[in-house]
Amino acid sequence: MKLIIKILIALCIAGVSTFKSNAQTPKYQQPVLISSAGQNADVALAGILFKKLKLEYKTANLAKESDLEGIKTLVIVPGFSSKGLGAAGISREDEMKRIKELINSAKKKKIQIVMLHIGGNARRGNQSDDFNKLVAESSSYMIVVSQGDEDKFFSKISTQTKTPIKLVDKIVQASDPINKLFK
Amino acid sequence: MKIYINKLIVVLIFSLICSGSVLSQKRQPEIISGKNGMVATAHPLASNAALDILKMGGNAVDAAVTAAFVIGVVEPDGSGLGGGGGILIYLSKEKKPVYINYYQRTSSEVNKLDYNGRDDSRTVKAVLVPGTVAGLTSALENFGTLPLSTVIAPAIKYAEEGFPVDETLAGIMLDNIEVLQKYSSTASIYLPDGFPLMEGDNLVQKDLAKTLRIISEKGRDGFYTGEVAEEMTKGITSEGGMITLDDFKNYEAIITNPVTGTYRGYQIFSAHEPHSGASIIEALNILENEDLAKLGHYKASSETLDLMAETFRRVYADRSAYIEDPNFGYIPIDGLTSKEYALSRLIDISQDTSKIREYRKTIPGDPINFGEPIDTLKDENKKVIELDGHTTHLSVIDKDGNVVSLTQTLGTFFGSGFITAGVLMNNALMNFSLTSKINNVEPNKRPRSSIAPTIVLKNNKPVIAIGSPGASRIIATVVQMIINLIDFKMTAEEANFAPRFFCQKFDDYLYVESRIPQNVIDELKLKGHNVQVLGDYDLFFGGAQLITVDPITGIYYGSADPRRGGIAIGY
Repeated sequence: MKLIIKILIALCIAGVSTFKSNAQTPKYQQPVLISSAGQNADVALAGILFKKLKLEYKTANLAKESDLEGIKTLVIVPGFSSKGLGAAGISREDEMKRIKELINSAKKKKIQIVMLHIGGNARRGNQSDDFNKLVAESSSYMIVVSQGDEDKFFSKISTQTKTPIKLVDKIVQASDPINKLFK
Repeated sequence: MKIYINKLIVVLIFSLICSGSVLSQKRQPEIISGKNGMVATAHPLASNAALDILKMGGNAVDAAVTAAFVIGVVEPDGSGLGGGGGILIYLSKEKKPVYINYYQRTSSEVNKLDYNGRDDSRTVKAVLVPGTVAGLTSALENFGTLPLSTVIAPAIKYAEEGFPVDETLAGIMLDNIEVLQKYSSTASIYLPDGFPLMEGDNLVQKDLAKTLRIISEKGRDGFYTGEVAEEMTKGITSEGGMITLDDFKNYEAIITNPVTGTYRGYQIFSAHEPHSGASIIEALNILENEDLAKLGHYKASSETLDLMAETFRRVYADRSAYIEDPNFGYIPIDGLTSKEYALSRLIDISQDTSKIREYRKTIPGDPINFGEPIDTLKDENKKVIELDGHTTHLSVIDKDGNVVSLTQTLGTFFGSGFITAGVLMNNALMNFSLTSKINNVEPNKRPRSSIAPTIVLKNNKPVIAIGSPGASRIIATVVQMIINLIDFKMTAEEANFAPRFFCQKFDDYLYVESRIPQNVIDELKLKGHNVQVLGDYDLFFGGAQLITVDPITGIYYGSADPRRGGIAIGY
C-alpha cells in the first residue's frame, strides 16, 4: 500500500512538472548572437528589434564557432541574398557549409537556436528555401512574418518537428514574441 | 481502376509540389506581340502608362518619356528625378539615330568637396547634379508630340496616391536597409514603422508628387530653378554635399550622335561615350571573328562561354583605360570600335595559355594605332568602384517604327539614400576614378557609366531595341542578348530567359547563373576559371527590356526580364 502511495505521489510530482513546462512560453537566455543564413541584410533589422528591447546581443553575418563563446542563444535570420554573398566574397556553397557548422557547434555547446524569418516573400524561393528549411528544422522556436508562410512552408515544418512557431503580420510585431522569449 | 487511382495520386502529389513552390516560380516565356506598338519596362504601371500614350496617338518618344517618369516613381530604387541616364532614339522618317546624354554632372565647385570614396559613396556627398528632368524634357521638346503635362500625369498620380510594392522592390529594400535608414527624410517614406515596407504595402511619395506637379507646370525650369532647386541645394549642402544653384541652372542634356558599328550585317547604334556603347561594339567585333552558332550556345558549350568571358574581360579593361567624358580627354573611339583592333584582341585571347585566369591582371589593348594617331593618355592602374550599381531600362516602338532605347540610373540602389524636395538623389560621384587620370573627378564633368541603350538595324530598318540595368554587368548582358538574337536566332523571350554569365577585369570570379549546366561549369574550371554560381534568375545579371521586329511581317515582339518585375505589352 505504501509503495502504491509513493508511486502515486511520484506520478503527481512528475505530472505537475510536465504541466508546468507545457504551460510556459519557452525561455531563452542572453547574450544572443544574431547571424544570417544566406547573407541577407535582415540581420540589421533583427538587430533593431533586439536593440529596442534592450536585450544583450551582437550581430555577426559570418559568425563561426568562435563567435559562440559566452553565447546563450543563437538567433538565425535565414534568406538568400546574392548581393550579400557578393559583398562577403563567398559562394552559396560556402555559406551553406558555414551555417551547417555554426548550427552543429551551437548544438554541441547546448546553445538554443531561434529562427527569425522577417523578409517575407523576398526571402523565399529556390535560392532561399534550403537555408530556410535547414534553419527551421534546427531551431527550437520560430518567429515568422506571415507573408513568408503563405504556402505554410514554415508551419508544416513546425508541425513535423513539433517546434513552436509564432506568426506575425509585420516585422515590427516580431518584437512582442522576442520579448516574451527573453524576458 | 487501381491504376487510375494511382495516377490520380501522382497528379495530386505533383500539383501539391508545384503549389508549394509558387513563391519561387518565375513567369513562363510567352509570345508578346503587337503590330502598332510595343513597350517593355521594369514595372507594369510604367508599361501600361506608356502603352496608353501610344494608343492615344503619341509617338515612341512620348511613350518612353511617360514610362521614364513613371518608372522613377514605381521603381524608385533604380532611377528617378534625382538621377540621370541616356536615351537613344531612332526616327524612322529621318532614318536617323540620336543620343541624348542626360547623365549626372559634377558641381563647378566639386574640388571643395571633402569626399572619401570608402565612407561617402552612399551619402549625400556623392550626389551629382541630376539630369533626368533635362534629358526627358529635351527628348520630348525635340522629338515628341505631346505636352509635358500629359506625359508626366501618370507619374504624379502614382506618387500622390501610391502603388503596391512588388516583390522585386521589397527585396531590394531589405537588401539596402542601411542606406534607407541613413536620412530621416528617406526613412519616413520607406521605413514608416522603422522597418521596410513589404510586398503589397502602398508606397506614397507626396513630396515627390508636389515636385512633379511643379515640373508639369513649369517644365525644365521648374526643377532647375526656383523653389525646387533652392530646396534641393539647401538640403544637399546642409548634409555635407556640394551642388550650387548655378550648377542646377546651368545643367544641360547633350544631344549627340550614337556610337556605331556592325555585327554580321546588322547595324549597331549604341550609347555615346562616356557611356558604354563602344564596349558593346568592341565585344561584338571580337566575337564576330568566330562562328558562335557552330561553336554552340554558351549555356551548353564551355568553349563559347570561355571565349565570351575572355572577350568581356578585355573589353572591360579597355573601357577602363580609355573611356571618360569626351570633353575632358581624347578617346580613341575609332580604334576601339575598329574591326582590325578587335582582331588583335582575339589574337590576344588565342595566345593566352595561362592555366589560371587572373582577371585582375587583364591588360588593356592599344587601340590608338587603329584610329587616328594621338598621344596616349592610357593608365593601366585604373580602379572601377561599381559593385552595386542599379539602373533601369525601357524600350518602346510605335506604329511608325520610331524606336526608343532608354537607360537611366541613380548610381546604386537608392543612390545616395538622401531625399530632398521629395527627390531621391543619386550617388554618381562613385562612378569616377579616385586613383587615375582617366575618368577622374573634375568640375562640370560627367563620369563614365556602363549604361548602353542600343538599337540594331537590318537593311536600314530597326529590328532590336535593347538595354539593361546592372552596373558593370550591363555590357556583358547586352552583348549576350544580341548574340542570342542574332547568332542563335532566339525569340525575344528566349533570349531574355537564357542563363547569363559575367566576367570582367575588376573581379576575381566568372559569375554564372545556376542554370548553366554543371558539366559546362566543370569544364570552365578546367580551363582555369574561378566560377561563382549565383541564382537561377539572378538580379545581379541585370534586367533587360527588349523589343524585336520581324523584318518580314513587321510584327513587334517584346520581353521584360524575368529577373525583375517588369512586363512587355503591345497592341
